[in-house]
Amino acid sequence: MTLKDALFTPDEQERLFDHTFLQRELLEEQYATLEQQHETAAFGMWVFLATEVMFFGTLFVTVAVYRSLAPQAVETASTHLNWLIGGINTIVLLVSSLMMALAIHSAKLGDQRRVYRFLLATAALGLLFLCLKGVEYYLDYVEYLIPGWRFDKDKWLAPKNAGGDGLSSDQVGFVQIFLLLYWTMTGLHALHVTIGIGAVLTMAVLTSRGHFSAAYYTPVDVTGLYWHFVDLVWIFLLPTLYLLGTHSFHTL
Amino acid sequence: MATPMVSVKTYVTVLAVLVALTVLTVTVSFLPLAEGWHIGAGLTIAVAKASLVVLFFMHAIHSPRVTWCVIVMSIAWLLILFSLTLADFMTRSIVPFMPGH
Repeated sequence: MTLKDALFTPDEQERLFDHTFLQRELLEEQYATLEQQHETAAFGMWVFLATEVMFFGTLFVTVAVYRSLAPQAVETASTHLNWLIGGINTIVLLVSSLMMALAIHSAKLGDQRRVYRFLLATAALGLLFLCLKGVEYYLDYVEYLIPGWRFDKDKWLAPKNAGGDGLSSDQVGFVQIFLLLYWTMTGLHALHVTIGIGAVLTMAVLTSRGHFSAAYYTPVDVTGLYWHFVDLVWIFLLPTLYLLGTHSFHTL
Repeated sequence: MATPMVSVKTYVTVLAVLVALTVLTVTVSFLPLAEGWHIGAGLTIAVAKASLVVLFFMHAIHSPRVTWCVIVMSIAWLLILFSLTLADFMTRSIVPFMPGH
């Protein structure tokens, strides 16, 4: 008689151990219950997200430093970014977060078909976000907003009545650093979205193969935490990059 | 597993509030505010939105205390990062730099 047979009835064994991914036992031996295992996995993801807070935090603090050193230059540069696509993308990610929350809601109820559909909707909205981001990057390219490669210094130096921004050459240096931070932060965020789409699609495939049940859906839940975090970062990127200055409709 | 659940109605209401706050934060950026108020307003709204996402979408509201420890600690570390870094940069014009001291 194996330990497994001693601890679980055949009925429980079928529910807990069989038909699982890679024939791995559902309940790892170091845990007493599936609930404890679930809480531990979620805790691990929360700790990872805490390290991600510090990772993005250093970039946010850099924006804060440069904004305090050269407020006018940074605010002027901020108004040149595309607030419309930035705003629409915020809503796209918020809706994708709702889809993810509904997927986990369905997972708790054991409705695998709905979990699958909501996960696909989440990934599709993530993809829409990346497409809109791509359009925005193209428009930034057209408008000479790429320091070091496609950047028009004279446009920023020209006086305001001549269609420029009326900045000093020192200030244009800060404009370039701010734009560099814009590319770094949105680029790293887009990388996180890409990884998130991969994780969500993986969960969708596992769901369709019947790996989850109302008793065991921990990977879906943990993937959800990561996806919501990516949304959280964008919630803070919107005001710190796009909304620093005063917009007017003719700067669109 | 008997986990407490947030209702679908609550999720949809939270999304509606989040979208409304997004529209509000973009609208505020069109108001001719004095320097510093835009980022103040933007970050205040962002903190409100982030709290909604963490509490309801990430269901922190039903999470064990150990999760709350991680949330509180990550905010605390972030505040240390910000306060110490900015304490340096924002006082450089007040405190003279003295090489060799």
